[in-house]
Amino acid sequence: MSHPITGSRRSILIYTLVWIVVAATQGGLYYWVFEFPVPVVISDPLFSSFLFGFMGLLAWYPTRYIPFQRQSPLYSIMAHVVAGIVVLGSWVLLSVAILNAIFSNQEVYIEFLNQTVAWRAMLGGLIYLVLVLIYYLVSSSQKLQERTQQQERLKGLVRDAELNMLKSQINPHFLFNSLNSISSLTMSNPEEAREMIIRLSDFLRYSLKHRENEYVPLSEELGRMKDYLAIEKIRFGEKLLYEFNINKACEDFPVPTMIFQPLFENAIRHSVYESVEPVAIRFSCETVEGHMRTVISNDYDPAVPTRKGTGVGLQNVKQRIALAYKEKGSVQWSANDGVFTVTILFPRIFI
Amino acid sequence: MNNMNIIIVEDERPARDLLKTYLEAHPNMELMGEYDNGFDGLKAINELKPDAVFLDVQMPKLTGFELLEVLEHQPEVIFTTAYDQYAIQAFERNAVDYLLKPFSKERFNEAISKLNSRMAAKEGGAKEESSIERIRQHFAESDEKLHRVVIKKSGKIHVISTNDINFLEAQDDYVMIYTDDGKYLKQQTMKYFEKHLDSEQFVRVHRSYIANIARIERIEPYEKSNFVLILKDGNKVPVSRNGMQVLKENLDF
Repeated sequence: MSHPITGSRRSILIYTLVWIVVAATQGGLYYWVFEFPVPVVISDPLFSSFLFGFMGLLAWYPTRYIPFQRQSPLYSIMAHVVAGIVVLGSWVLLSVAILNAIFSNQEVYIEFLNQTVAWRAMLGGLIYLVLVLIYYLVSSSQKLQERTQQQERLKGLVRDAELNMLKSQINPHFLFNSLNSISSLTMSNPEEAREMIIRLSDFLRYSLKHRENEYVPLSEELGRMKDYLAIEKIRFGEKLLYEFNINKACEDFPVPTMIFQPLFENAIRHSVYESVEPVAIRFSCETVEGHMRTVISNDYDPAVPTRKGTGVGLQNVKQRIALAYKEKGSVQWSANDGVFTVTILFPRIFI
Repeated sequence: MNNMNIIIVEDERPARDLLKTYLEAHPNMELMGEYDNGFDGLKAINELKPDAVFLDVQMPKLTGFELLEVLEHQPEVIFTTAYDQYAIQAFERNAVDYLLKPFSKERFNEAISKLNSRMAAKEGGAKEESSIERIRQHFAESDEKLHRVVIKKSGKIHVISTNDINFLEAQDDYVMIYTDDGKYLKQQTMKYFEKHLDSEQFVRVHRSYIANIARIERIEPYEKSNFVLILKDGNKVPVSRNGMQVLKENLDF
């Protein structure tokens, strides 16, 4: 947040004008009412009103860095009182000391000066209070504006995520290749063909009913992911191996629907699609202090140059986790020695 | 109808089984072999010289298209693919035929009869531009970006990720591709690479050179009003005045 006065040329001008008017009034009073000599008429307003105007700018910083807390207003008030005493005290001491030094031979004025110290401090305190209130007003309106902007940004993110998800739901390549496998199996192994049709239907139904903000128990999500893997297994046979290691405590843990789909799809695309050797995909999970940590890993051949841009699926998952859990959840990945690993931390939510 | 020798290159067993079952109805088609990846398929086609190949597009090691690029023997090709809009566009104009998975027995038979009439025309002496040549041509004219380059070097096939290319140099009808692991000669034009490499990453810095921006160590003046790139691997690449202009725009200096 920038300083509400020094932040723009216009507000500097207005602020300066206000203090010129105050200083001129003070000077006029000295000249016509108290009939002080001209050097005093010029110097006193300069070292009192103008100096105060400058120091009043500093009152912004306590306002900025001592946010008003509803829970403990006393703390904020105390902090401002301390800051105010420091600013006012140094202003009064400085201006009185300077004026005393300059006009030490003007006895009438010096007496006047020393008598009005208390008045000066009180008037200064009042103006200081007004300034602090103005600063609070400006700062809260700025905060409101920032919050609205942030909300707009978040809304945009949600929209993008939704769009990406629609795009990434079911890979048409997977669908048509699976149908082709089924077509082949109807002749060689009708039993297996039927099983594959049922698995494919379950998986499709699950992905169709899936909505952005729905949560299901981990066991249900994984059930559908197993359907997906079983279908790929029929296409690729012994080349695809997979292993699930699920802690009992994880089974009922709620997760967003289809959250693992892009990860399993990536695992298959970067391992089975690119390999002629058998490759393994592993899933495991454990609960830690009310959170659940899931780990998906797959073998891949680091020597194979990737054909298409990667990372869309991962970014998608990361974005969804961030939107669903804020900073309480996390997605991390690493590639080491031909094994790619994605770790997700889910906080427990209550539905 | 004459006998015809066939090879199947397809990475999924059920898909191969289906093709074989459909082929049983055509006794003049003789299956020489089936292969589950691009490398083995390429080797077999070059060695066994079949009349026709059923070729999948998405496969491990080498895609159907990459296989075509480095093929010596040129059989007739029937593509099989599930879903790939770019590929379908290429086939529609150029291939003998293509089968979209899943396909019916009738559709398969149709492809076979196209193949038969094509072979008959060939034997009748009709000279036709090979379908493979036309598919290559199609790719050269398309806007499809390259992610890897397939090169034949002393009998071996190398698949190079475009990220690993340091720079390219024109050499008559060929282009020399320099990587950290060595250099590879590819029969292709500079214009082709300029068009199909990612222009955010590769810049034509000279009539005879394309450089990978990520591999530039520094740019030094060279003679008067000319510049030379010093790459991270120590190689030097000359920069023309035009090339300098493009570099400036790309690197924003």
